[in-house]
Amino acid sequence: MGNFVLGKYIPLNSPVHRLDPRAKIIAMLAFLIAVFIPAGWIGYAVLFVIAAGTILLSRLSFGFIWKSMKPMIVMMIFLFLMNCLMIRTGEVLVTLGKFSVYTGAVAQTLYIVVRLLLMIMITTCLTATTKPLDMTLGIEDLLMPASKIGVPAHEIAMLISIALRFIPDLIEETMRIMKAQESRGVDMKEGRFSEKIAAILSLIVPLFVSAFQRADDLANAMEARGYAPGEKRTRYKVLHMRAADWLTVVGANAVLAGVIVLARILP
Amino acid sequence: MPIAFDKVSHIYSAGTPYEFKALDDVDLEFSEGKMTAVIGQTGSGKSTLVQHLNALLLPSSGTVRVMDREITAGTAPKGLKKLRGEVGLIFQFPEYQLFEETVLKDVSFGPKNFGVSEEEAQKRAKEALRLCGLDEQYDERSPLELSGGQKRRAAIAGILAMDPQVLVLDEPTAGLDPRGTEEMMKLFRTLNTKRGKTVIIVTHDMEQVFVYCDEVVVMADGKAAAHMSARDFFADSSICRSMNILPPAIIRTCDALREAGFDIPKEINTTSALAKCIARQVKRHG
Repeated sequence: MGNFVLGKYIPLNSPVHRLDPRAKIIAMLAFLIAVFIPAGWIGYAVLFVIAAGTILLSRLSFGFIWKSMKPMIVMMIFLFLMNCLMIRTGEVLVTLGKFSVYTGAVAQTLYIVVRLLLMIMITTCLTATTKPLDMTLGIEDLLMPASKIGVPAHEIAMLISIALRFIPDLIEETMRIMKAQESRGVDMKEGRFSEKIAAILSLIVPLFVSAFQRADDLANAMEARGYAPGEKRTRYKVLHMRAADWLTVVGANAVLAGVIVLARILP
Repeated sequence: MPIAFDKVSHIYSAGTPYEFKALDDVDLEFSEGKMTAVIGQTGSGKSTLVQHLNALLLPSSGTVRVMDREITAGTAPKGLKKLRGEVGLIFQFPEYQLFEETVLKDVSFGPKNFGVSEEEAQKRAKEALRLCGLDEQYDERSPLELSGGQKRRAAIAGILAMDPQVLVLDEPTAGLDPRGTEEMMKLFRTLNTKRGKTVIIVTHDMEQVFVYCDEVVVMADGKAAAHMSARDFFADSSICRSMNILPPAIIRTCDALREAGFDIPKEINTTSALAKCIARQVKRHG
């Protein structure tokens, strides 16, 4: 569990790390929309080059991206099998007994895999280069226009930042409880079914107890420092958009526009 | 069977920007049947060290020898479960491990995991609970209803009920009131002297080390900086001070009195003995 890297912040000093979180979020959204526009393989090639370039620029290793991909592999295999059974377009590629695999199925699956790959690459770029707190500041700012129509922008941002804040703590807590129960003879990996149930219970019950306890403590600590939701407040950290940030936003939207045009002119 | 560390290193998150060497080439031997204190500053590797004793952590390199078993890098030793029954490890703030519906069930959870029958487990659980100062009225209560101190006692009882030969405690009295602290420390000392258990205790409290422990291991920057008898360790307060450790109050008082011209013999180690000694000298001077 300590090796779980999806969504983890990696403290490095790179041009991507220094970008304004708002610019990064907008750019990522534009890129994600672009991924879902069917602009053929040329479009995907362009997007791939941009995503890979961003990764290089942010000094992340491709091994790290690969680690983030790993949890998705099972899903991809499942998708591939489903597609093979369902899609019957194009020519027959291989025949296995009653089933035939069509070129259409392979092409369709490859499209999905490439889309997933691109999505993971670019979202990892965002989460690995942006501190969780900066991310929530960015989300809050971007939601501000919506607060005029009653969307609780600050509360949503606070909720996200608290949730993100607790993920490492809860992972650590889980490890701690696992170790404590392993010391009491619990075998988390092997054992009969009934033993496994007991093992999981011995982990989940304390985890819930401690999560509620933490939530309670945090709520009290926030109230003690005068936090009241819905109040107007100033910020310790004020975000500023610089030239590089505007360039990122404009660039990402230009790519999106380019992909849309490409999709139109393709046959 | 002594417990020995042979050139043991432990590296957390190896190969990432978070890489951290918690143990650095530790050579150490814990004496059997003794009560040994492991002291050192936060982050010096104390907790990492003791988690090797029941193979919760495996060394990154080197060998740990515990109860006839060898624990080496990357190889989970055979008979891991048996080892964990023989080396009982109590973590810091162990109350978070409580999960059963009743205190008695929770305490008998450990022994049952090690294949003890239901009745025997209950018998042992009751015995352990009484040792820890929780009487019958708590047996059928939910552990979550207990006070903080009682939860701690129940959690410690949960390990004692396993009847381990080696007892490893990671700051067992942190956050307990002074009376609870004294009762628990006396209990560990009794288990050591009366039942011959090897006790290894991680602590920040020099008073505890001074009063209850036989030997002292000082950890500093992932290395075992010193290993000596508690008597030698406290005999000369310059050893403590050279390692940035504040000696126990009684030692500091003796030092201050010596500086003020009193003649305080080395063997004085209790408040009452010190008081008598001073009284004699004051009277003599009239």
